[in-house]
Amino acid sequence: MTPSRSAFAAILAKDLRSELRTLQSLPAMALFSVTTFVIFRFGLDRTSLSGSLAAGVLWATLLFAAVLGINRLFVAEREEGGFDAIRLAPIDRSVLFTAKVAALLVYLLALELVAVPIFAIFFLEDAAGLGPLVLVLVLTDLGLAATGTLISSMAVNSRARDLLVPLVLLPLAVPLMIAATGATEPLLSLGGPSYDRFGTWLMVLGLYDLIFGLVGYAVFDFLLED
Amino acid sequence: MELLFAAPALPLDKAGKYVAGAYVVFVVLLVVYLAIMAAKVQRIEKELRDVAAIAEEKKEAQAAPGRGSETPLASHGSGGGGTGV
Amino acid sequence: MYGKGLKPLSIATVAMLALSLSLVFFYAPLDGDQGFIQKIFYLHVPLAMVALVGFIAGGVFAIAHLRTDNRKWDAYSYVSIHISVIFGVAVLITGAIWAKASWGHWWVWDEPTLVSFLIVFLLYATYYPFRYAIEDRDRQARYASVFAVTAGAFVPLNFMAVRMAQSLVHPRTFATAEGGLPGEMMLTFLVSLAAIALLWTTLVKFELTAKSASGQVKRLRRALDAPAGGGGSRIAPEVS
Repeated sequence: MTPSRSAFAAILAKDLRSELRTLQSLPAMALFSVTTFVIFRFGLDRTSLSGSLAAGVLWATLLFAAVLGINRLFVAEREEGGFDAIRLAPIDRSVLFTAKVAALLVYLLALELVAVPIFAIFFLEDAAGLGPLVLVLVLTDLGLAATGTLISSMAVNSRARDLLVPLVLLPLAVPLMIAATGATEPLLSLGGPSYDRFGTWLMVLGLYDLIFGLVGYAVFDFLLED
Repeated sequence: MELLFAAPALPLDKAGKYVAGAYVVFVVLLVVYLAIMAAKVQRIEKELRDVAAIAEEKKEAQAAPGRGSETPLASHGSGGGGTGV
Repeated sequence: MYGKGLKPLSIATVAMLALSLSLVFFYAPLDGDQGFIQKIFYLHVPLAMVALVGFIAGGVFAIAHLRTDNRKWDAYSYVSIHISVIFGVAVLITGAIWAKASWGHWWVWDEPTLVSFLIVFLLYATYYPFRYAIEDRDRQARYASVFAVTAGAFVPLNFMAVRMAQSLVHPRTFATAEGGLPGEMMLTFLVSLAAIALLWTTLVKFELTAKSASGQVKRLRRALDAPAGGGGSRIAPEVS
């Protein structure tokens, strides 16, 4: 293994381990999602959802759960002083970015593993659209992970960090949401899944992931020098 | 939804108000900006006067070293707050 | 140093603005569909285009700042974004007025360019609370540059995504400069665009001059070993 890759693996393992150790936030995020679904049930006065409503409810909930969970990965690091050890290590700091993004991605996917089936049970008539939905979930999570890591890394050094992450992250997440709901809506339509513009939306997601992945990778060095 | 295809042409008197409104908004924003900048520039001038006064005092103090002139300048609080606007 | 050339630039701006207004109201022909309302576009669209270019410029200056660590680029970046945000307010208000005049509603979601612009504006509006929440001055400048670069990359992506979200049933409802504009309208539009671009440049230069002067006064104060006065900009082009 090259030094970069072993460093990557080490940081990723450390993050996942600390996440498993604390164990608090993942069930909490899942709980948050389920409660939000209940609120939507009453807020919209609907017991079953399809098409654009289903896509909207699902993605709004996932987005807010993600935003709530995103700061944690970096907050823990900062408080435990993990930053200093990494700064002193002779590795490319952008590796840290990749590791963080990977950890956040795993985190989000784990959240969805719980939240999406429950969503289906609560609201969907049939689960046929869920298979291709996985693709949308993965690509969107990648975008959220990249942007979320970037923004929370900056916010963690600021005064109003709890407010700053949602404030800055939400506008940045709009294209992701547009593409995600655009792809999800026909998947969850009443007559069964359709793939209207599915490929196009996936490409938009991929493009977002690529652009912000690259931007994050390129600028991450500047965030850690002190 | 035919309205989407043909934005109806308002009669000149009604349309004129909207167009005028748009240009007025533009002018107002511009003037407000200039007013804020004018205030900023005035503040800079005042600071320059203060600094010039301080420089004068320093010069006098150096010219007559035995005089022990005091420079009782009250602190105005922390400098360098965020910029206005 | 920054103020040099500000006077001829302002004069050019005023002249261009006057020319543009004359063309809009005395030369450009009346639009077939929209009538007199269409005249708002000579103001609204140039403002939008210049604001967007200004945002991208803010990102480019930010890259320069990150690479050279010269504080001057940070000031350029900040001011570019700042003036573009102000132009953005004008864009949204004039856009709303146009929407009200055309459709009776102060806002319409069917206009993808306006919606995209709103999202971009919302992002750049977070630049200020983001920037000022970071206390350490060097870090503040660095992080602000990272923000400006990220946001600059965001702009084209966002426009693309919103444009795509438009269902194919609703066609674009107004012709921007790309659509076939008759010669006189095109000329009027280009002159207006030039005028607004000049205005942006003048205001940026003006703001930079003020900041630079403010920063220099502060340095003078410190050099004279005097207690600091109020005000003075932390975002000054000169490194102190």
